[in-house]
Formats: sequence, C-alpha cells, structure tokens
Amino acid sequence: MPRFFYQTLALNNLKKNSQTYRAYLLTCIGTICMYFVLHSISVNQALNEISGGAQLKILLFFGVIVIGIFSTIFLLYTNSFLIKRRKKEFGLFNILGMEKRHLAKVMFWENLFTALFGLTVGIVSGMILSKLMFLVLLKLIAFKVPLAFEIPFSSISTSVALFGGIFALSLLYNLGQIQLAKPIELLRGEQVGEREPRTKWLLILLGTVTLGLGYTIALTTESPLQAFSRFFGAVLLVMVGTYCLFTAGSVGVLKLLRRNKNYYYQPRHFTAVSGLLFRMKQNAVGLANICILSTAVLVTLSTTFALYVGVEDQLRNRFPRSIDIVVYDVENTDMGELRAHVFPILERHAVQPQELLDFRNLTITVAQEGDSFLVGREYFSDFSPNVGFLSFLTLADYQKIVNKPLALQEDEVIICSDTNYPYETLTVLEQTFTVKEQGTPFTGQGYLDSFNSYFVIVKDLEILGELHKAQAKVYGENASSFTHYLGFELESTPQQQLDIYKEIRASIANPAVDINSRAAERDSFYMLYGGLFFIGIFLGTLFLMGTVLIIYYKQITEGYDDQKRFVIMQQVGMDQAEVKRTIRSQVLMVFFLPLVTAGIHVLFAFKMISKLLGVFNLTNIALFAWCCVGTFIVFGLFYGLVYACTARVYYKIVSV
Amino acid sequence: MHILEVNNLKKVYTTRFGGNKVQALSNVSFSVEKGEYVAIMGESGSGKTTLLNILAALDKPTSGEVLLNGKNIGEIKEKEISAFRRDNLGFVFQDFNLLDTFSIQDNIFLPLVLAGETHLEMNKRLLPIARQLEITPILGKYPYEVSGGEKQRAAVARALITRPQLVLADEPTGALDSRATAALLKLFTEINDQGQTILMVTHSIQAASHGKRVLFIKDGEVFHQLYRTSLSTQEMYQRISDTLTTIATGGERRA
Ligand SMILES: Nc1ncnc2c1ncn2[C@@H]1O[C@H](COP(=O)(O)OP(=O)(O)O)[C@@H](O)[C@H]1O
Ligand SMILES: [Mg+2]
Repeated sequence: MPRFFYQTLALNNLKKNSQTYRAYLLTCIGTICMYFVLHSISVNQALNEISGGAQLKILLFFGVIVIGIFSTIFLLYTNSFLIKRRKKEFGLFNILGMEKRHLAKVMFWENLFTALFGLTVGIVSGMILSKLMFLVLLKLIAFKVPLAFEIPFSSISTSVALFGGIFALSLLYNLGQIQLAKPIELLRGEQVGEREPRTKWLLILLGTVTLGLGYTIALTTESPLQAFSRFFGAVLLVMVGTYCLFTAGSVGVLKLLRRNKNYYYQPRHFTAVSGLLFRMKQNAVGLANICILSTAVLVTLSTTFALYVGVEDQLRNRFPRSIDIVVYDVENTDMGELRAHVFPILERHAVQPQELLDFRNLTITVAQEGDSFLVGREYFSDFSPNVGFLSFLTLADYQKIVNKPLALQEDEVIICSDTNYPYETLTVLEQTFTVKEQGTPFTGQGYLDSFNSYFVIVKDLEILGELHKAQAKVYGENASSFTHYLGFELESTPQQQLDIYKEIRASIANPAVDINSRAAERDSFYMLYGGLFFIGIFLGTLFLMGTVLIIYYKQITEGYDDQKRFVIMQQVGMDQAEVKRTIRSQVLMVFFLPLVTAGIHVLFAFKMISKLLGVFNLTNIALFAWCCVGTFIVFGLFYGLVYACTARVYYKIVSV
Repeated sequence: MHILEVNNLKKVYTTRFGGNKVQALSNVSFSVEKGEYVAIMGESGSGKTTLLNILAALDKPTSGEVLLNGKNIGEIKEKEISAFRRDNLGFVFQDFNLLDTFSIQDNIFLPLVLAGETHLEMNKRLLPIARQLEITPILGKYPYEVSGGEKQRAAVARALITRPQLVLADEPTGALDSRATAALLKLFTEINDQGQTILMVTHSIQAASHGKRVLFIKDGEVFHQLYRTSLSTQEMYQRISDTLTTIATGGERRA
C-alpha cells in the first residue's frame, strides 16, 4: 500500500463530499469561533474593573454554557446526518475489499483533518474576531478608559478541549456506525434510517413534566432574587421538555391522528400525517434546536434591548435622587447634623436641594405570610419568594416627605408601597398594628423597590425603638440598626453634581456612610447596559447563524428525500400541483413550528424575565413587552426570509 | 374493440442543453385486446421505459397517438390526467416505488385515498387481493421491513386495487431473486387468468415467456412478435431465445 494511503483517501473523500462537508466545516468553524469569542470575553480580566462587571460575567458565562451545549448537539447532529448520507459509499468500499478497520482508519483521518482544520480556522478567526468585537464593544458604549484585551490562553485550551471532545465523540459515533453495520446494510444505509418512529410514552411524559415544571416555575416566580436563582433551572427544564416533546410528542400526536381512520384516510390528511410523521422523526432534534435557538435569540435581544433603552429609568430606580446619603448605625437622635454638614456645600455651589427625602428608618428582613411578617432566619432562605423588607419610619419624618399633617395612634400604621397591601392589620414581632391607610409611595434606597417591601409609618420614635429592640433579640449579631437617609434632587450640570458629590465624599470620612451620586454612576450604568446590549446583539446574531445553518441543512435533506416521493406520488395518480401543495404545507408546518413554539416559550417566560430584569433595576414592564413584540416581529420576518431563500434550494432539488 | 391502441409512436429526447438528440422510439405501433397478457421485450436502452411512460401519460410522445378504450390520452386535459391514470391504469415498477412513509397497507390504499374512497370500501377491496397475493401478514409492516418479493407483491396489490383497465409493469422482476421472480410471474398469470389485462416490458426471457404474446422492440420499432397459442412456458422460452439470437445476428424483420 502506498505511503499516506489512508490520509490521501481521507482527503479525497472530503473533497468528493464537499457539497455537504463544506456546510459542516463552516458550522464547525462558526461554532468554534462563536465559542472562542464569547469565552475569551467572558474570562476577560478587564471586565472585573467595570462596576456591574460581575453580573455581566455571569451572563456571559451563561452564554458560554449555552453555546457549548448548542455546539455539541448541533455538531453531533450534523455529523450523524453526514454519515447517514455516506453509508452507501462505505458499503461500496467494504464490498470492494476494504476491511472495516481500514474504513475506520480512513474515518479517523477524515475526522482528524476536519478537526484540525476546524479548530485552527475557528480559533484564529475567533482571535481576530474577539479582538474586533471587544473594540466594537468599547466603541459602542464609549468607554473613556480603554480596556486591555488579551487573548486568554484558557480560551484556546477550553475551545480545543470542548471541540476536540466533540470531534472525538463524532468519530466514535461514526466508528460505531461502521462497526455495527453489515455491508449490505451499509449499502442500504439511507433507507435503514427510515424506520417507523415508535411512540415513546416515557419521553412524552418526561417532556410534559419538565416543560410543565419549567413553565410553572416561570409563572410562579414572584421576586427578582428568586427569578435570578431559578432562571437557569427553568431554562434547562424547558430545553429538556422541548427536546422530548419535539421528538416524542409530535410522533405521539401524529400517531393518534393516524389511528382515527376517518380522519386519516382522506386525501389531504393521508399524505400530510404520514409525511409529517417521518419528517418529525428525522427532523425533531433539528427543529428542537431551531426552537431553542430562536427562543434564545428572542430572549437575549429583547431583554438586552429593553435594558439598553431603559438605562435612564434604571438609573433613576437605583438612584432616586441626584445625591443620596445613607448613614448606617445611627445611634444619636440628632437628625440635623448631617443636613448641617451637607447643605453648606450646596450653598457654596449656589444650588437648592429639591424633593428632599430626610428620614430615619429601621429596615427588618421578614418573611411575609398574609398580614403577618415573620422575623428570624428559620423562616426563609435567601431566595424564598416571600422574603422582603419592612422599613419603619416615624410619622414625623413621613409628614415632612408628604408635607401634610397626619395623626396616628400607638397601634396604628400607614403603609407605603408600590405593592398593594390588602390586609387591615399588620403583625410583626408579636405586635399587631391596625393599618390606618395606604400612604403615598415614595422612593428611597432604590433597592427596596426591587422586592416586595413596604415602608411602615409608626407613631413615634418610642415604637421604633421597641421594634429595634425586639428584632435585635431575634437576629442577635445580624440585627439591623437605624439608618438615616438623606436624598435630594439637584438642578445643575452633571459636572457640577459630580463636583458636589466629590466634595461631600471628601468631607465625610466615616466608612458607615454610603454616598451615591446618580451622575457619578451614570457611566457605569451605560457601561453595563450598553455592554449587555452588545452581548445580546452578539449572542443573538450567533444563534441566528446557527438557526440559518440548520434550516439550510434541513432543506437540503428534505429536498433529496422528497424528490423520490414526489415522483412516486405522481405515478400513483396524484397530480403535480397537489403534490406540490402537500409538500409545501408540510414543509411550512415543520419550519414554522419552532418559531411558534419559541413564541410560546417567551410568553411563558415573560413574567420571570421581567422579575429578573428587576435585579437590573428595570421596572418598566411595558417597555420590555414592546421590546419582546418588536424582536419577535423582526425575528419572524428574518426567519421567513431565510425560509424563503432556502426553500428555493429545496424546490430546485425536488423539481429536477 | 382494442383496449389499447398505439399508433406510430415516436419519441426523441433532447438533452438539456439542446445539443444531442436521442431517438428512443422511432415508430411503434401495436394494440392490446382486453384480457391479454402482452410482454414487450427489448435490450436495455431500447426504449421500453420510454414507451411505458408515454402509455401512462407520464411523458408526451414527439408524435403518434395512444388510445385507451378508444380515447386518445393525448387529448386528456392536464387537470384530469392524474384522475385518469388513477382510474384506468395500475403500475408495477422494477424498484417497487413504495413510499417509505407508509405502511404496506397504506401504500396499497394510496390510490384509493386519492380517489376519495371510504375507508370501508378500501378494506373491502383489500381483503381478497391481500389474500390472493399472500401479503395479509405484512400489511402492517413498512417497506424496509419486508423482502423484495413482498414489496413487489404489495406494489401489484396497489396496482390492482383500483380495478384498472390495464396493468403496466416495467421490468417487474428486475430487482427480484429467482424464487421471488417465479412467484411473481405465476401471480401475473393468475390474475391474467382472472381477466386482468397486463402489459409488461422486460428484458428477461423468463419473464417474457409467461406472456401470451411477446413483442420485440429494437431500434425504436416493434421488430417482431410471437404468439403463445398452446405452447408451454418452456417452449415459449426456447422460441424467445431463438428469436433473440436471430435479432442479434441481424436476422430479417418478420413483424
Ligand atoms: N429523460 C431522458 N432524456 C434523454 N434521454 C433519455 C431519457 N430517458 C431515456 N433516454 C434515452 O432513451 C433511450 C431509451 O431509454 P429507456 O426507455 O429508459 O430504455 P429501457 O427502459 O429499454 O432500458 C436510451 O438511450 C436512454 O439513454
Ligand atoms: Mg427501463
């Protein structure tokens, strides 16, 4: 045997099958590149320095995982598709005297060449692209300080490890296919795949349960923190459910339809049901992929777009006043000291504090159960849905905020919150108060808005003091103390606000004092949300690319498979127009099923995602809803366009 | 009246880029009586499939006409052609042409479903045919699960279930082993004995020797024909072989 016999043969094989292999290679390169770019940005050290960089990194890491999963499934799927197409070729080699171990060698070299080529080109283009992407990112959100971007070695090694693993798995699968098959089966390769799909009740059950569970979790998520902790689980459940139901559920439904003889044996339904049955069998995984990807595109684009558009809102939610000062561990009762310290600075800058918020409060972590609020760690974990805060204020401070005289008895409270409080009493720390009225909601300490929390106005300092003592007994070391909040709006330029902020900062040396300036935080907000939007576009585009590739592959396969059926149906007496119509409707149904399902997923996820966005201080649900609708429309149009283009390829194949 | 009459059929294929022209049929004429079993013999490439496709109105002749029950199939409107084919013709192909998306039973039902028959009627028609063709046990299976012989019998059942005027078979034994071939040919004789008109094209002497009449085509024309009369299959086989030898050695035309 000549030297490099197997290597040469392997190369020739790749060349010979270039029509399908080109798309496979492109997919390999594409996914490797995507993964590499995302990974390299996600481990980028510079992100640590941005405020909010940690959240960004979590999101990026999530993206890396999703891309990893997606790449694995998709590459394995594409590979199995290719090998199925080539079984006949292997059968021929086998019959012409090549042993299976020789075939295995050829296979090995083919895979090695593919892997080397894919990894090299993928990683190199990833390197170029990641640098470029990072520059684009910096440009897009106008970083004042340029961030360094280095190609992290870990990105190279993880990419090689992950995709090397995928290629190895593909090879194993291919070898298994050759090893298990008899030559005659290899020759018949393609037909063998046409096995009648069985109804897998267990999978249907699993799919229904996981999907139901995922949807339920999404629908019953009440707090942002809860959403944050549950999101990943819910996504995984819905993904599993989607795969199960696309593969097993669709077959189950179609088989039920087939069992109904009067329905099934009608010209329209007859070919449609049986055709779909086999299409689903061959396409289910691909369609589930498309569905998941489409959902991912919709979610990433709509959320990141909403966050970016609403960045000023979020800023205002997080920092309700131009400047706010929170003094923790307030012991003394003199509230005037802070004002006396801060206001002269304002005077020097010739600005008036407006919309003044100046109060002392006691914030207690509680678990709400109807009208009673349980205090104590045993009642809640960090992420339980009923966890919240009660923030107690005295009537005197509240009157200053709302500017009107009010009266309260010792056992009466006023409740202020965006969340409606439907009960007549409020019980906390073994004291029961009568709710006198629902007061005007006011903002202060922005984080309180993100949760189901209430401001509770009590009669006077004495009651406040009692509550403080009572909770200190329960929480011991972790008990909260009084805080003093001073916040005001300033009508001046951002630069002046920054100057004032710096001056106040410099004049207060106490570490137990928190000073925030909206103007000072604006940059980091733009960084975070602009960055997120960038990542969203990026991820969305990547997912879209995947979707296009799968659809393209699907159309080609469908085309080749349908070509034969098309001819036979005409011979049996179906007219050409009719054949075209049934095929068209089946193809349409199969291709738009994932899009519709993706829409349903988004619909169910809507509530959870809006809560999740609360973590990022986005509370404008309507804005998010519009972003979802907009994304869906744009994506739907794009999807339709891709479909139309690939459908042309399909009809060209079929009508030869 | 003839059930099928073919007059001066000519078919010239023009390749896609215009250039080469292939004359598949130059001048074919023959007729078939009701209840006949006609085999058309010819070498590979002699235009047999072309002829069948034209008879089935799947392809149009360059010139000439085909009359089925006196009706010129060239004049049937495009819209009605499928229904016409469905109602009057049954097909059996070399490679079976069963749809892999249907069970054997549904493959057989296909033309009836397309014709809008009720499920009850379909079952009523299927039972006797399935019994005769001995495919009752495999009705629920899928094409890839059964042997070639079984597939071909299923295809025959599909051709017969519409009770066609004429069954057209294109090399029906071409993909079968000898045992399945013998069984299928016996079956054809059987259904022909029950009155079914059959037109079969083949290059297999064994297959042709079962026909009641054998036409030979060569160079795009009917070159010769043999009547079986009272000959046995064995003797018929011999006669066909002799004729083919004559044709091959350039014998004279005796049509
Ligand atoms: N679609 C076509 N286009 C061009 N030439 C064709 C086409 N179909 C058949 N031919 C040619 O016509 C001749 C007859 O073919 P065919 O009818 O298939 O022969 P047979 O079935 O007897 O083997 C052959 O030379 C073949 O190459
Ligand atoms: Mg032929």
